[in-house]
Amino acid sequence: MIQIKPILAAMRHHKAGTVLIALQIALTLAIVCNALFIIQQRTARLSRPSGVEESNLFVIRSDWADKSDPQHTDIQMQADLLALRQLGSVQDASPTNSFPLRGGGWDNFIKLAPDQVKMTTDAAIYFADEHSLATLGTKLIAGRNFTASEIGSQKPRDRLSSAQVIISKDLAQRLFPAGSALGKTIYVSADANKPSTVIGITDTLQAHMQSRRTPDYAYNAVLIPARLLDDGTVYLVRAKPGQLAAAMHDATKALYAQSRMRIIDRKDGVMTFAQVRQRFYKSDLGMAILMGIISVVLLAITAAGIVGLTSFWVGQRRKQIGVRRALGATRGDILNYFLTENLLIGIGGVLAGAVLAIGINLWMVTQFEMARLSLAYVAVGVVALLLLGQGAVLAPALRASHVSPVEATRSV
Amino acid sequence: MLKMTHLSKVYRTEVVETYALRDFNIDVKEGEFVAVTGPSGSGKTTFLTIAGLLETFSGGEYHLDGIEVSNLNDNARSKIRNEKIGFIFQAFNLIPDLNVFDNIEVPLRYRGMKAAERKQRIMDSLERVGLASRAKHYPAELSGGQQQRVAIARALAGSPRLLLADEPTGNLDTQMARSVLELLEDIHREGATIVMVTHDPELAARAQRNVHIIDGQVVDLSEDPRFHVVHAEHTGTNA
Ligand SMILES: Nc1ncnc2c1ncn2[C@@H]1O[C@H](COP(=O)(O)OP(=O)(O)O)[C@@H](O)[C@H]1O
Ligand SMILES: [Mg+2]
Repeated sequence: MIQIKPILAAMRHHKAGTVLIALQIALTLAIVCNALFIIQQRTARLSRPSGVEESNLFVIRSDWADKSDPQHTDIQMQADLLALRQLGSVQDASPTNSFPLRGGGWDNFIKLAPDQVKMTTDAAIYFADEHSLATLGTKLIAGRNFTASEIGSQKPRDRLSSAQVIISKDLAQRLFPAGSALGKTIYVSADANKPSTVIGITDTLQAHMQSRRTPDYAYNAVLIPARLLDDGTVYLVRAKPGQLAAAMHDATKALYAQSRMRIIDRKDGVMTFAQVRQRFYKSDLGMAILMGIISVVLLAITAAGIVGLTSFWVGQRRKQIGVRRALGATRGDILNYFLTENLLIGIGGVLAGAVLAIGINLWMVTQFEMARLSLAYVAVGVVALLLLGQGAVLAPALRASHVSPVEATRSV
Repeated sequence: MLKMTHLSKVYRTEVVETYALRDFNIDVKEGEFVAVTGPSGSGKTTFLTIAGLLETFSGGEYHLDGIEVSNLNDNARSKIRNEKIGFIFQAFNLIPDLNVFDNIEVPLRYRGMKAAERKQRIMDSLERVGLASRAKHYPAELSGGQQQRVAIARALAGSPRLLLADEPTGNLDTQMARSVLELLEDIHREGATIVMVTHDPELAARAQRNVHIIDGQVVDLSEDPRFHVVHAEHTGTNA
């Protein structure tokens, strides 16, 4: 039998404890809702596709010891690539400056007309050759690949000047929402005299960072048919299936055999793509784990608080429980009393907590570009905290229900 | 109404066994007003807690209103306490967090009574004990005598057939004790069975019958001439 009115009446005499627990529930709800939301957002990122066939792929970063002659660098790069592709454990290899999940790199504004003042969007710039798509395992969905003769070379300070480009399908969609991007002219370079023709469109291909200036940046990529003659270079290498370890070993050896005038970092000079992915999402995963720990700790503290305070109340009210039993309360009535009391405090707490949860989120929306908290999280949090409260109160409430009616006659 | 035969109650601790009641026999008829007297520690409270189903006993038999109670489960015992028995304690035992009205309502709510009927009964019983104007007061705001009258109102509100009182005047001064006793006598006249523990001989004398407990056993004092004298005097003055 539910007896809300007298419970509320009695609660006014335990204001301090009641308010304390309600506040604790409110704060826990507010923080846990937002933490779960952050966890969901971060883990959702982890499962986004890179557009790259990640198994059997690895990355070598080679820095040149002698950076004085770009011409020599170009020759060296071509020799390196030839050597890599000849290895028995290697399926294909290509040069680049950057790749999906790298964590940063060269981005450019993309425009549709040379005199356009504002960019249409921005995109990751990936230097590539005719082997790049095969090496990445990324498919063309329209148009054609680069040919060997189209591959040029350029120095980092030069403006991009590429007559042909291949772009990712998301970028194509963004630039030409109405029709196909194939054969269209775009401006990748700031130089008004250097238009580029889109000769191919790849399937999904992720940019090297999560987001940039524009919200749709994440899957915008442009492949430039050139070797970038920088202080160092990146080689993407696809091992033959099951020969990843062997290929990584062979490739390093082959590169040093080509020239010892280079530095391949022992620690992260050679990385499997799995390692690249792990490094890229480390902070997301870390944040998700941290939020998870905070949530669990807060929930545990709240549960402990409820157990503690209710146990105290049961001890304090032994006599009155005995009196109630003497007056005809069953064990169930007493159990019910404490469960209902907790539910009422819980409802007060979650109402305040829900408001606080939304408030915290709105503040984060303005401060940290957070997304709006879905009300489903608040609803789940409310139910979870009410259940937690009922669970926590159960043991002390059961103890209360076993107070003997004879307690009523014991002198205080 | 209340019949115990060869009843015993043992309190066991790791070291000792205390027989609070042994070979205890009593038969309280419907409508009787019985006063229970006896030295401290003789087992009066123990008798009352067993009579009121607050506690189980160790041996013997107890019939309450014709029912052998030892086979009843906890819920059935709660129901009997709630519907048939009214308790009055020495320490009043009002719930300090609830006002007078809510205190009296406690047993009625456990009975699942409708709000309108609860209110009616509460106001009637408060009227009865002369505290109708104090319904919104908290126990701490009342004198001892007033608190005990609220406790009596709480016991009365459920119209119990049996009223059990453990030294109801023990914490009150003589004046207040008299008024509480008069209230009990009224209630008795309306048909309730009353068993009252007291060690005030003057109050005991006003009951219809006295039961004396020594060392956990009922001692028959009807043979004792002194008792007859006291008893006669009081029935005389009262009549
Ligand atoms: N819970 C208990 N545990 C052990 N002994 C008890 C308990 N309650 C009462 N007793 C003992 O039983 C005897 C009778 O006690 P009680 O019925 O309270 O006497 P009275 O009310 O006549 O003073 C006493 O010796 C008392 O110490
Ligand atoms: Mg006693």
